[in-house]
Amino acid sequence: MTFFTIVFRGLIRRPVRTGLTLLGISIGIAAVVALVGMAWGYEKSIGRQLDVIGIDMVVSNMSGGLLPKVFDESLQGRVAAFPHVAEVTPTLMLMLSVEEAPLIMVSGREWGSFTWKMLRVLDGRIPKDATERAVVLGRLAAEGLGKKVGDTVQIEAEELQVVGIVDGQAVVENGAIILALPLLQEVTGNEGKVNFLNIRLTKDTTKPEVARLRDQIKEIFPEGRALEASEVVGTSQGFRIARAMSWSTALLAIIVGVLGVMNTMLMTVFERTHEIGILLAVGWKRQRIIWMVLCESALLGLLGGITGVALGAAGLKILESTTTMRGLLEPDLSPKLLLTSIAIAVVVGVISGLYPGWRSSRLSPSRALQA
Amino acid sequence: MAQDSTPSGALVYEARGLKKIFDGGSVAALRGVDFQVWEGEFVAIVGPSGCGKSTLLQLLGSLDRPSEGSLTYRGQSLADLRDPSAYRAAEIGFVFQAFHLLPTFTVAENVQIPMFEGPLSRGERVARARELLHEVGLEHRLDHFPSELSGGERQRVAIARSLANNPSVLLADEPTGNLDSENAAHIVELLLQLHRDRHTTLILVTHDLTIAALAARTLRMKDGRIVHSPPDPVAA
Ligand SMILES: Nc1ncnc2c1ncn2[C@@H]1O[C@H](COP(=O)(O)OP(=O)(O)OP(=O)(O)O)[C@@H](O)[C@H]1O
Ligand SMILES: [Mg+2]
Repeated sequence: MTFFTIVFRGLIRRPVRTGLTLLGISIGIAAVVALVGMAWGYEKSIGRQLDVIGIDMVVSNMSGGLLPKVFDESLQGRVAAFPHVAEVTPTLMLMLSVEEAPLIMVSGREWGSFTWKMLRVLDGRIPKDATERAVVLGRLAAEGLGKKVGDTVQIEAEELQVVGIVDGQAVVENGAIILALPLLQEVTGNEGKVNFLNIRLTKDTTKPEVARLRDQIKEIFPEGRALEASEVVGTSQGFRIARAMSWSTALLAIIVGVLGVMNTMLMTVFERTHEIGILLAVGWKRQRIIWMVLCESALLGLLGGITGVALGAAGLKILESTTTMRGLLEPDLSPKLLLTSIAIAVVVGVISGLYPGWRSSRLSPSRALQA
Repeated sequence: MAQDSTPSGALVYEARGLKKIFDGGSVAALRGVDFQVWEGEFVAIVGPSGCGKSTLLQLLGSLDRPSEGSLTYRGQSLADLRDPSAYRAAEIGFVFQAFHLLPTFTVAENVQIPMFEGPLSRGERVARARELLHEVGLEHRLDHFPSELSGGERQRVAIARSLANNPSVLLADEPTGNLDSENAAHIVELLLQLHRDRHTTLILVTHDLTIAALAARTLRMKDGRIVHSPPDPVAA
C-alpha cells in the first residue's frame, strides 16, 4: 500500500458521489475544449486562408461587428500608389443567412484579382466575367446548402446561378459563397463599398518598409488600420469577441467545477472526521492529512479533466460532421489545448481542495475521535 | 525536573496539578492530578464513569492539551510540543475500546497506516505489518476487512497497529470494554506479553478490577482526581 492507494481508496468509497462530481468537472472541461477549440480552429483557418491566397497585408475599418464596417472602395487606388505595394484588391465579406444556412460567409472579390486565381475548380467553371450573374461555391458550402452546378442560390432578393464548385484550400474559403465584387455590392445594396483591401507586397520588402507603409495607410485612412497577415486574426473584432466569449464561458465552467469539487471534498472531510481523528491518533501529521485531501481533490480534477477532454473532443468531432456546421468549423484539437484543459482541471481540483484540506487540518484529534 | 532525583529507571511521565476543563469552564474533567510513571511500568487506572480516565489518557497521548498544570514526557513539556503528531508517531501506541480501525482498509493496511510517518519503504512496511500480525496471531487474516473480524480479532489488529512504529509507551483505554470475558482475557494476556517482551511502558484504563490487579500499580480516580495511589516503585 502506498500513499496513493490511500488517496485512491478515498475516492472510490463513494462511487456515486465521485462519479457525479467527475461528470460535473468533465462537462465543464468539455465546454472549455469545445469552445476554445472552435475559436482557435477558426483563427487558424483564417490565417491559413490568407497564407494560401498570398495576402501579406489587410486593410480594414477598426470598428464593426463580427466583420469590420464597410468603407469606400476608392481607397484602393490610393493605397496602390504606395511603394512596395505589388497588388491591392478589395473584397466585401459578409455573413448572410442564405436559404437553409443560418449564417454563411459570402465573399465578393474583385474580378480578375489574385484572390480568384487560388481557387481550384472541382466542377463547372469560374464566372465568365464580372457581369455574369453567377456564383461559385466552396465545396463545403455546396455540401451544406445541398447545391450543385446548374442550381440557383438566392442571395438577399436575387437568384444567382451556381456555375462552379471550388476548393480554396482553407475552410473559410471552402465554406463560402464566392462571387464578383460588383455583383455582391449590387445585391446587398453596398455599391462602392468594401470592407477589406488585400495587399500583396513586392518581394523582399523589409520590416521597416512595411512599418512605413502602415503609417502611410494610417494617414489616409485614420479610422482604419493595416495589419500584417499574421496579426489579422489576433486583432479582429470578431475573433476577439469569440475568444472572450469562449474563455468567459470556460471560466464560468471552471468556477462551477471548483464549487462542485469543493462541496464534495467538504462532505468527504466532514464524514471522515472520525477517521481523520484516528489518523491523527496514530501519528499522522496535519500536513499529511492536508496533502491527502489535496491529492484526492487533484486526482478528481485529473480524472475529470481526462474524461472532459475526451468528451469535448468527441463532441466537436460530431458537431464538425453535422452538415449545418460544415465549412464554418475546423476545430483545433491541438495537444496544447488538450493538455491545457487537463491542467486547468487539475488546478481546479487543487484549488477546490485547499479549503477542505485546511478544515481537516484544524480538527482537534480528541474531538475528531469522539465524532 | 524530578529526573535528577530518581535513583533508578527513567521517569517517563510526570504530572503536577494537571487540570482539564471543557466547555469554557462548565465541565472540569481533571481537577488537579499528580503522578509519575516510570520506564517499563505497568500502571492501571480505575474509577467510575466520567471521572476523567479517558481525558487523562488523551493528555498523555497529546491528543489534547492540558488547561492548567504541567505534564512532562521524559522531561519535555507536552503542552509545548511543536509537533504532537511526531511525538505520537514515534513514542505512543494507542489502543481504544472501540478499536478505531479504518473500515475501508484491510487488516494489513490498517497496521501499515502509522508507518507512513516512519522511515520504512513500501516493502518493509508490508513485511513489518505481517510480522506484527503474526505476533498477535492474525497472520491468516491479512487481507480481510475489519468488518469481517470478531471484536477480539479487531482489537488484536488495533494492538498490532499500535506497535507499528515500535512505541515506548502503550496507552490502552478500556481495551477489553467491548469484549466478552474470554476475548478480554486474551487481549490482556497479549498486552502483558508485549509489555514484558518489549519493556513497553503500559498505561491501561479499565473497569475490570481483576485486570487492574495484574498491574504493578493501580491509580484510583474519582471526580477528576487521583484518590488512591500506591507508593511509586522508585520513590524514596
Ligand atoms: N470533549 C469534551 N467536551 C466536554 N466535556 C467532555 C469532553 N470529553 C469529556 N468530557 C467530560 O469530562 C468528564 C470526564 O470524561 P472522561 O471521558 O475522561 O471520563 P471517563 O473516566 O473516561 O469515563 P468512562 O469510564 O465512562 O469512559 C465527563 O464528565 C465528560 O462528560
Ligand atoms: Mg473513558
